[in-house]
Amino acid sequence: MDIAERVRSIIAERLNVNPEEITLETTFEDLGADSLDVMDLIMELEQEFDLEIPDEDAENIRTIEDTINYIRSRIQSQ
Amino acid sequence: MFRTRICELLNIKYPILQGGMAWVATAELASAVSQAGGLGIIGAGNMPGELLREEIAKTRSLTDKPFGVNIMLLSDYVEEQMKVVLEERPAVITTGAGNPGPYLPVLKERGIKVIPVVASVSLAMRLERIGADALIAEGSESGGHIGEVSTMALVPQVVDAVSLPVIAAGGIADGRGFLAALALGAEGVQMGTRFVCSLECTAHPAYKQAIVKAKDRDTVVTGRSTGHPVRCLRNKLTRQFEELENQCAPPEELEELGRGKLRLAVVEGDVEYGSLMAGEISGLIKDIKPVKEIIEDILREAEELLGLLNSRFYKKGDE
Repeated sequence: MDIAERVRSIIAERLNVNPEEITLETTFEDLGADSLDVMDLIMELEQEFDLEIPDEDAENIRTIEDTINYIRSRIQSQ
Repeated sequence: MFRTRICELLNIKYPILQGGMAWVATAELASAVSQAGGLGIIGAGNMPGELLREEIAKTRSLTDKPFGVNIMLLSDYVEEQMKVVLEERPAVITTGAGNPGPYLPVLKERGIKVIPVVASVSLAMRLERIGADALIAEGSESGGHIGEVSTMALVPQVVDAVSLPVIAAGGIADGRGFLAALALGAEGVQMGTRFVCSLECTAHPAYKQAIVKAKDRDTVVTGRSTGHPVRCLRNKLTRQFEELENQCAPPEELEELGRGKLRLAVVEGDVEYGSLMAGEISGLIKDIKPVKEIIEDILREAEELLGLLNSRFYKKGDE
């Protein structure tokens, strides 16, 4: 699975939505996630991709596309 | 004698903190709790910076023991309150309603201990990572703004996820609750409602009496639809909230209804239309007594209970 697929499937599972409902432009808010839900999600992404995502970065991640781009850039710079 | 890492960290005799309740936790209450060997905490709530400065000065005039200031991160006054605490340097800052991450480095730089209130394991882990000194795991039994997980379930999960000392809050008002919190892995407790019903608390007598009169099912949570749920004693105000929520009123309308209502209850003593923020444990609180007595009764009860549990229920071996 590529990064985009993995991100999408984690978000779908954690927020209990069908992966098809998630587009690149979908925001966490669209999916009904509050700030604590987003934090849980960030922690899960950290685990999945073996990263530490600081608050300053997490704040700028709002859409699925942001998430995928962020993870991609972090993995590439490793 | 109960000694935990919280006693060492905060330089206090007993691992008991008093919640920094807006309007209720004034210099009078905070200094009384610190004088009695716990940690008193001023509730900055929506105080303008200069008022907070006066409250800190007043507390200092009443006690030379350490005390804290609670900053509610949703307040419009957060920036000026932070500026004041950085100058005045109380021993401890507790924070509520959000993530204090951005303020943490500068508070620590000034030698102020930072103890955030958390209602989730993820937030607890992230705050440990960026340097919090301890955490208050606050369950949904609490009064005022609350999270979704109960104290019984939240505390051991937070304790397992972090190595920092954890303080349990929500649903604690006597020696049984105190000892139970330690059994869950906490190294201290924070109590709000119990301290409202103290002689030193300056809240209106009618507000204290409402808590004393309350029974087990008398609190209700309103505002879930706004994303900022609040637990209060049921009254005419909570009925109005329920009616609005049943009509699916927009969050702004609910926020508007809540505006100024805590002051109305605490300062004016309007128990019908004021917001009587109080925890589920209200039903257990039957008297208004001095802070020192509250603290000492809890420790004595907990100590007796510790011995009793051992002799009454526990036998070594399988017999």
